[in-house]
This record gives sequence, C-alpha cells and structure tokens, in this order.
Amino acid sequence: MASAPPSLSTARPPTAASLHGGRRRGALPPLPSCGVRPPSLGGLPALRSAPLRRFAVRAALSTADRSAAPVESGGGKELLLEVRDLTAVIAETGQEILKGVDLTIYEGEVHAIMGKNGSGKSTFAKVLVGHPDYEVTGGSMMFKGENLLEMEPEDRSLAGLFMSFQSPIEIPGVSNADFLNMAYNARRRKLNQPELSPIEFWAYVYPKLDLLNMKADFLNRNVNEGFSGGERKRNEILQLAVLGAELAILDEIDSGLDVDALRDVAKSVNGLLTPKNSVLMITHYLRLLEFIEPRYIHVMENGKIVKTGDISIAKTLEKEGFKGVSEM
Amino acid sequence: MAALAFPRHIRTPPKPSSFSNKPKAKPRTRISVRSSLAPPQLGFSDPFVLELAEALEDSLPSPSSPKLSPLQRIRDASSETLLSTPWPSRKDEPFRFTDTSFIKNSTIYPVSRPPPQSLEAPPASCEETQLPQLAIVDGYIVDFGSNLSGLPDGVYVGSLSNATSESLVERIGEFVSGFDWGDLFWSINGVGAPDLAVVYVPAGCRVENPVHLRYYSAEASDEGSNRLPLSNPRVFVLVEKGGEVDIVEEFIGGDGNRCYWANPVLEVVLGEGGKIRHSYVQNQSPCAAHIKWTSVQQEAESSYQLVEVSSGGKLSRHNLHVQQLGPGTVTELSTLHLAFNEQTQDLHSRLVLDYPHGSSRQLHKCIVANSQGQAVFDGNVKVNRYAQQTDAGQLTRSLLLEPRATVNVKPNLQIIADDVKCSHGAAISDLEESQLFYFQARGIDPKTARKALVFSFGAEVVSQLPNSFVQKKVENQIRELLDPR
Ligand SMILES: Nc1ncnc2c1ncn2[C@@H]1O[C@H](COP(=O)(O)OP(=O)(O)OP(=O)(O)O)[C@@H](O)[C@H]1O
Ligand SMILES: [Mg+2]
Repeated sequence: MASAPPSLSTARPPTAASLHGGRRRGALPPLPSCGVRPPSLGGLPALRSAPLRRFAVRAALSTADRSAAPVESGGGKELLLEVRDLTAVIAETGQEILKGVDLTIYEGEVHAIMGKNGSGKSTFAKVLVGHPDYEVTGGSMMFKGENLLEMEPEDRSLAGLFMSFQSPIEIPGVSNADFLNMAYNARRRKLNQPELSPIEFWAYVYPKLDLLNMKADFLNRNVNEGFSGGERKRNEILQLAVLGAELAILDEIDSGLDVDALRDVAKSVNGLLTPKNSVLMITHYLRLLEFIEPRYIHVMENGKIVKTGDISIAKTLEKEGFKGVSEM
Repeated sequence: MAALAFPRHIRTPPKPSSFSNKPKAKPRTRISVRSSLAPPQLGFSDPFVLELAEALEDSLPSPSSPKLSPLQRIRDASSETLLSTPWPSRKDEPFRFTDTSFIKNSTIYPVSRPPPQSLEAPPASCEETQLPQLAIVDGYIVDFGSNLSGLPDGVYVGSLSNATSESLVERIGEFVSGFDWGDLFWSINGVGAPDLAVVYVPAGCRVENPVHLRYYSAEASDEGSNRLPLSNPRVFVLVEKGGEVDIVEEFIGGDGNRCYWANPVLEVVLGEGGKIRHSYVQNQSPCAAHIKWTSVQQEAESSYQLVEVSSGGKLSRHNLHVQQLGPGTVTELSTLHLAFNEQTQDLHSRLVLDYPHGSSRQLHKCIVANSQGQAVFDGNVKVNRYAQQTDAGQLTRSLLLEPRATVNVKPNLQIIADDVKCSHGAAISDLEESQLFYFQARGIDPKTARKALVFSFGAEVVSQLPNSFVQKKVENQIRELLDPR
C-alpha cells in the first residue's frame, strides 16, 4: 500500500522511532494483530517511559504482509491483549458472528477498529468483556497473560479491562452515584484498600465530573435513565475516569456527541493515557481519531480483521468509503 | 347445633375459650335472641366459624361504658354476618390463590386479657418517640409505649372509651358499621375487637406530625405448637372537612418465630377536601398469620395516599377497599409485597369510583424470592357510569427470583363510564440480564448487583413513603431481607 505520511503526532522523537524500528526483525513497521513477542522483556527502560503512542507508524501493512512478518510491537512494552483466531456465536441462535479475529495490543498503544455496520465490531468488544449474549467457540484471548475465557466479567473488569457500551442501558432505581460508588469500592476491595463511604466517594468523583463538564445532578439521577444519547456516552467515560483501566475499549464513543462533548471526552480519555494504558476505539469517523490519535487502525469485515494500517486507512475511508479501503 | 336456630348473639360460659378445628360439643347455657329481621340463614352456618365467634365473644366482656356503644354496634352487626359466612375455601374467587387452611388447621384461641404491662417489642427509635404514637398490643390500646402529647387542639388519638367529648363519640357512632363489603375476616374482627382506637382530626386542622400506630402481638405460641392466639385490633380514623393527617401503621413482629394471628381492621372516613397520607408497614413474625382490612371512604375533593410495604407473616393478606363519595377525589395506592420466605403475600384491592373528575393511581409491585413463596394480587378498579372524566391508572410489576416462585396477578379495570382516561399494565420478570451484566462489566459481582437491582425495584414504592423515619426503617428491613445475618 501507499506509504501514507504518518500524521499521528507532531512531536515524534526520531531516536525512539529508529530504536523501535531496530528492534524488529525486518524493516517493516509493527504489526499488532499477529505479533508474537519474544520472551525478552528486559532492557530499554528509557524507552518504556516514552509516550509510545505518539510514535508514528511509518507505513501501514497490507493483509498480505501480515502473515509474512510475525513481528513484535511495543518496543519493550508489555503485551496487554492478545486475541488469536477468535470465533464466537450468538448464544441463543448459534449464529456465528466472529470468524477468526486476531488482535494484539501492547501497553501504551492506541488502536482503532473501523468497519461496516454489522461487521462484528461491537460483538468483538462485548465478547472481550464476557457478554452473556455470545459464546466463544474457538481461539484464545489473553489479557495481561491471563486467559479471559476463564474469567467472569466482573473479574475482567477488575483486572483492568473496561468497555464503554455503544448503547448503554438504563438501570432504573439505581442512582449513578451509588452505582459508581459500588463499582469503585469493588476495585478498592480487590486492592485491599478500605472502601469509600458515599461522602468520601463524592469528594473523589466530583472533580471528574468537572473534567467531563457534567453537572453534579447527574450523580443523583438513575443510571442512564432519561439520559440523552450524548449524556450516556459521557457517563460511560465518567465511569472510565472513576474506575481507570489498563485497556479501555470505547465502542462508538463519538456517535451522538456534539463537537464540544467530543472534545471533553477526548480530553478525558487522553488524560487517562499513560505509557501503560491502552485504548481500543471503535468508530466510523476520522474526527475522533484526530482527537485521540491511534497508532493502528484495523478494518473489520464479516467477523474478521481484514486489514491493519495507520491513520491513512481512516482518511481513505472518509474520502472513498470501504471500497476505497479494500483497494488500498 | 339445633340451639343455633335463631341466634343473633350467642353466649356461652366463660372459659374455656380455646378453639380448635375439631368442634367440641359444648353446652350452651344462654342464647340471646334478638329481633330477627332477616330470616336466619342457618343452612349456611359454618360450625367452625360459629365456634370461633363464640370463643371470641366469651373472651370479651360486653362493653360497659356507654361510650363504647359504637363498638357494641360493630359487634352486633358483625356477629350477624358471621353466622352466614362460611370459612373461605379455594373455590371462592377471592381466595382462589390464597390458602387459609394454615389458619384453619391451627388451634385458634382469642388472646387472653388483660394485655401485658410491659412490651418486648423492639423499642421505637429516638426520633420516633418524639412523635405522637399509640401502642396497640393484642388489640388493646395500652398506655405504656404511647405518647400523645403535642397534638393540636381538638385532635383525638386513643381509645374510644377514654374520649372525653361526648359529641366525638356520637360523631364516630354515625359512621361505624356501615360497611357492606367486608368478608369473614372483617366480621371476625368486628366480633372480637376489644376496643376501638380512634384518630380524630377536626375540620380544617392540619396535624403536623405523623400519628404512629404501633401494633404488637404480645401473646404468641411457639413454632410447631400449631396454636394461634388471635387478636383483633380495630382503628377508626375520621378526618373532618379540610383536615390533614399522616397515619403510620406499623406491625411489629419482634424477634424469633412467634406464632399468632393478627386480624386488624382500619376504617377511614375522609371528609371533603381532607387529606390523609397513610403508610402501612407490615413486618410480622415469619410464623404469623396477618389478615388486614383497610376501608377508606373519600368525600369530594379529598386525597388519600397509601404506601404499603409488607414483608412479614407466613400468610399475609391485605384487603383494601376505597370508595369515592363525591367528585374530584384523588387516590394513590403504592404497594410493595416481599415474599423472601416460605410465605404468601396477598393484596386484594378494590377502588370504586362513582363520581366525576376523580383520579386514581395504583402501583403494585411484588418480589418473590423463595421457591415456596407466593404473591397474589387482585386489583379491581371500578369506574362507574357517573364517574366521567376519571383518570385511572393501574400498574403491577412482579419480580420472580427463584425457579418455582409464583405470582398470581389479576389487575382489572372495569369501566362503565365512557369519557375516561384509563391505563393499566402488568409485567412479570426475572432480573434483566443486560442490567446484571452492566454491573458486572464495571466490576460488581452478580450477587451484589442482584441485591442492588432488587432493592431498586422496591425503591419505586419505598421512596414514596412520606416520612423519612419510616422510609429509613423500611430500607433497613429490606436490606436485612437481602442480606440475612
Ligand atoms: N445479541 C444478538 N442477537 C442477534 N444478532 C446479533 C446480536 N449481536 C450481534 N448480532 C448481529 O451480529 C452482527 C454484528 O453486530 P455488531 O453489533 O457486532 O456490529 P457492529 O460492527 O458493531 O455494527 P455497527 O457499526 O452498526 O455498530 C449484526 O448483524 C447483528 O445484527
Ligand atoms: Mg457496533
């Protein structure tokens, strides 16, 4: 494919980039979706602290390249998520939706998945967090070296996996404050820290509301009850801000958001990004990717990731649609 | 039973007043026969019921004070109806789903008097004792545990026999015993009520603090003894034109598995433009039978709001009857029934609208969280021909949390008027899996999530309790049910 100019970041430390390149076997840029990482995890502490997500991807890879070059990504970073040949069906009907998904995410990376309506993006996200509507029929998914398939949904969450729902549901009768407090205390219990009383929690959560430009009365309202589409999305990000996550999967966090809200949300997501934390966004639009810059863009089609590349994929998509991408 | 040929009033020698389902042949020494206007319905007399009636009558002295003449009238009317009312069976529509054989198969005996002079009931909280409250123990109004200071002038709360105003006694007398919708249990109460508690609010008077009626069954038998001491508390509430009061009825079970049968009746007459907010909390012992009647009559423009939370008893039934006596009334009924044990929770409600411009809202929710638990709801709203421009809504939601948990709901709106706005709905569900998952996805385990969801299901009713101390108490009760120690 054409080597689209990397445009993820203006501040791109060349040394780090070359170092990064030097660690790979070939001259090819990293390929996350099928990277096999050698066991050598030590070394390069300087690199580890660098904001890796800002490193540009020099060139996107074609699908043909993928199998040819098993490469590692992350430049000394730990592997966070590794999905191999994942297949999943709708539990009730047995209909197969995921047909062999491969994806690898290292800590500190920002990824995006794009793809047509109904291609299986949300299903993939929900399968990762253990949604009961689906049943995994094959393949593997490892998170921080642990087998997600053996973990209950709440344990996946406590392990640092967060998914913001494309369509967050209402929970009548449970206030947002209570819900968040419960979730936060579950985290604290897991870390052997004392739980926070509602008043202590209020002090903790209040500044986070500000960050998202949310009014305090959101906390008193029932979870998502009567929330507008955009408010629900903001509320998901509020949950993320309260709970934190090592891998945040954001399913169409941009749909239904006005420009200002998108900026607030992006600001808050960027605020959560550290060299250790990763984000996987699902989106249809370039706009979000300009706010939260991904290193990799994957295209999903019919339950598989069929292409992985850099931001140029999103640009082509925006201009020419999926047809343009498949011709890339 | 030949001696029962013309009975209106049957007197037997005092003692033994124990009563079992095995009819014993007892010599009747005196039968008082009064003028018999209606033909005696001997053929329908149920020997079981008759013996029960006798035992009740034996247990009570006839009211000596002339002030209690209203009570005597209640007794007379009730013993009359009792003679023609058999014990209900599952073949009777109102009891189709409610099995009362647990009571019938026990040895029933009226509570002995006098009432105990100390109370093992859980003490009221500090906040509560500040409020006007009346303790009713085994149907008797007792002084200890009652605090009636601080009520506005003209308001009376207490036993009818202690009322000092003759006009009050007369006024009460105008209303009692005019109710023809009752059933056997209504009549049993009428025969067996030892006293009449009165809450009287004069015209235009707004009572600031809620009047708290604390009911307690002191006499109880042990679980497995198959004996049920029966008490019949009776309360009459009269709010005159424009008066306002909050009534809190609390039935306290106390500790342990105490067995008894409480058979209370509350009658409410609400004058024109008057307003009552009625909270009813039933937390009887898990072995108890609790059959309650609430009858409400609403004059024009009056407003009656009921919030009920019932969780106790092995068999608990609330018969609720609300009758509209003039136009423009507002009726709001919110009830929550919780069957977390092997128990039956039953609400039979009937709301009759006969005048225009009324509005009524009914929300009934129940949670059955035991495979041997059962909830029954029969909610009738009748919008009669002259009740035009009525706005009536009825909604029932049930949550079944265990595989064999059952609920029998029969919401029904009967509409005869044509210009009305009515809505109703019934839903029965398990907890929403998607909601549970939302909790889990945020790291909350399903057990905790389930509790939160069950609690929130009930919160729709609980949050309507108008007095915060009652609300807190009920919330704690529900928490305890969800998290038994
Ligand atoms: N629980 C379910 N029951 C039935 N069909 C389902 C279910 N979940 C997913 N599907 C189907 O699987 C396919 C993939 O759905 P999914 O929501 O993953 O698509 P998506 O890529 O997220 O689409 P969009 O861009 O519209 O959000 C669709 O055809 C959808 O109808
Ligand atoms: Mg989707």
